[in-house]
Amino acid sequence: MSKLLSQLIARSLMPALVAGAFALPVPIALAQQANATPPTAAEIERRKSMGGYMPERMQNPNLTSNPPRLTVTPLEDIPVNKIQVPAGFKVEVWAHGIPGARMMTRAANGAVFVGTRTIGRVYAVYEKDGKRVSKIVAQKLNQPNGVLMHNGSLYIAAINRVFRYDNIEANLENIPEPVDMTKDFNLPPDVHHNWKFLAYGPDKKMYFQVGAPCNVCEINPGVHGQIRRYNMDGTGMEIVARGVRNSVGFDFHPQTKELWFTDNGRDWAGETGFDDELNRVPADKVGGHFGFPYCHANGQPDPDIKVPNPCANVILPVTVLGAHTAALGMRFYTGKMYPPEYQNAILLARHGSWNKTERSGYDILRVNATPDGKDAKITPFMTGFMDKSSNTYWGRPTDVMQLPDGSMLISDEQQGAIYRVSYGK
Amino acid sequence: MKQCLTTRWTIIQRVFFLLIIAAAGPAGAQIKGNPERGADKAKTCIACHGQTGRGPMSGVPALSGQQFEFITLQLILIREGLREIPDMSGMLKELKDQDLADIGAFFSAMEPFSPRGTRNDRRFAAGAKLSEIMGCGSCHMKGYVGQRQVPRIINQREEYLAKTLIAYRDNKRSGVDTSMNAVMYKTTDEDIYALAHYLAHQN
Repeated sequence: MSKLLSQLIARSLMPALVAGAFALPVPIALAQQANATPPTAAEIERRKSMGGYMPERMQNPNLTSNPPRLTVTPLEDIPVNKIQVPAGFKVEVWAHGIPGARMMTRAANGAVFVGTRTIGRVYAVYEKDGKRVSKIVAQKLNQPNGVLMHNGSLYIAAINRVFRYDNIEANLENIPEPVDMTKDFNLPPDVHHNWKFLAYGPDKKMYFQVGAPCNVCEINPGVHGQIRRYNMDGTGMEIVARGVRNSVGFDFHPQTKELWFTDNGRDWAGETGFDDELNRVPADKVGGHFGFPYCHANGQPDPDIKVPNPCANVILPVTVLGAHTAALGMRFYTGKMYPPEYQNAILLARHGSWNKTERSGYDILRVNATPDGKDAKITPFMTGFMDKSSNTYWGRPTDVMQLPDGSMLISDEQQGAIYRVSYGK
Repeated sequence: MKQCLTTRWTIIQRVFFLLIIAAAGPAGAQIKGNPERGADKAKTCIACHGQTGRGPMSGVPALSGQQFEFITLQLILIREGLREIPDMSGMLKELKDQDLADIGAFFSAMEPFSPRGTRNDRRFAAGAKLSEIMGCGSCHMKGYVGQRQVPRIINQREEYLAKTLIAYRDNKRSGVDTSMNAVMYKTTDEDIYALAHYLAHQN
């Protein structure tokens, strides 16, 4: 073996290693076309302004999004005993047989409504004749992820469509026709990153996101990459955060009432590029910019969409949450059941990765921080949904929600189930 | 010198090992299909999709050799009314999840669909270049044969590919997730026709 050969190997491998990705030295697509002329710089630049741009460094045939499970998982097949929680906590299956279960909201008398994405349904989980049952209250909707109970009405957001079901808890056996509020909200129709998370703010307004319709691209900041708030009737739209790639979970700090949100970082930038974020909107910076597409995580410029001073005036995260882990639902814990270190801490779900070779996420984290977002400390809360040695997962935690008794409900989209985590006797 | 080489080869070995285990995905119960049972249930399907699943009708996709998980998931979307196909409405209403998996297994076991029509070299080259920039092979794999819920697209009907890519771009259709809507964002008609032509005329 010669010095030349080892240098050749070094030169072809080092860029891939430096990029932080376990990429093959030769892009797969190039290997497929014997006669193709390589794209010009102008063609690449043109492509970057659209949705589908794959940097040459990232051609990897083993990274594709996780397929959903659209069929029922029987109770006996849910490996709840594999879930790990801190000492003193207990996990039980609270509901099952609801494929695609994602975001949750609770009605006054205990019914829990559950949004989904692919399967297009909204479920109700409620007590009937002393038993917990579930039923489909809406279906054939386009990714009805956003659900919100307010004043006895259930709001459902499905991409750009908004529905309100009045007095629904009293009519679970005979679901009323909804009021169609789609025209009132007049939302963008793009599908990607446009499934909603709904929250009711201390200012009595409805909050939700309009994500970026691409992985990474130039966006119109007046339309995309935002968290917005509206009056409950769809009037008075205000943008409360910009440069937000895709937030599918937010809540209001119990003391300061400021908005805190998770945000999903971009894909196709390597194993560690770029972290998901936990952000806070300071009261004096409502409408501020959080970086997308130019600046990511703790102030890292985007490698494909380059501008001068990409992180100028960008509000940096409270903490980062790992690249590609898919941080979604989050709530501040305000109950009396859990130990003191949980008071006003955030519990958040990491749905789990697809855009990296070594899977990560697939858990619930606790984040403690000061009310102004300093000294963030992350502690795992619920793990066991993935197996590191085989690089496989069986569950995908998606949302968290507190019950009046201080226990937490955790939805698992992969198992179509909801777990309840309690503490103490 | 020898030490350096060992390190480099170890890196190569590690890369390939990780790529192999990266293919591992969800564990646990996944629905399986039976092609013999599927043949019996697919009698209505072959009226349009063809006896050999080749898709003889314009606008109707070939299904032969398609990824099993892709067909099954799409059939669920169609049954649930999440993909609206007027000619198929009501057809799947009575079918259970297992029936759809059996139909999926039936078509995926067939000889994969072959190309039709003649190749236009200029269009083919334009499509090839686009496929590289857009990274189609990253999810659709080498040879565009697909994997799991990502469909086999090599040699599919050209007009069906074009129609589908346009539907993704215009947010008229999503897959089991919105990956294709993201990829096709703002893509021009001209690019779509080149891509469709390239994919439909592989050897």
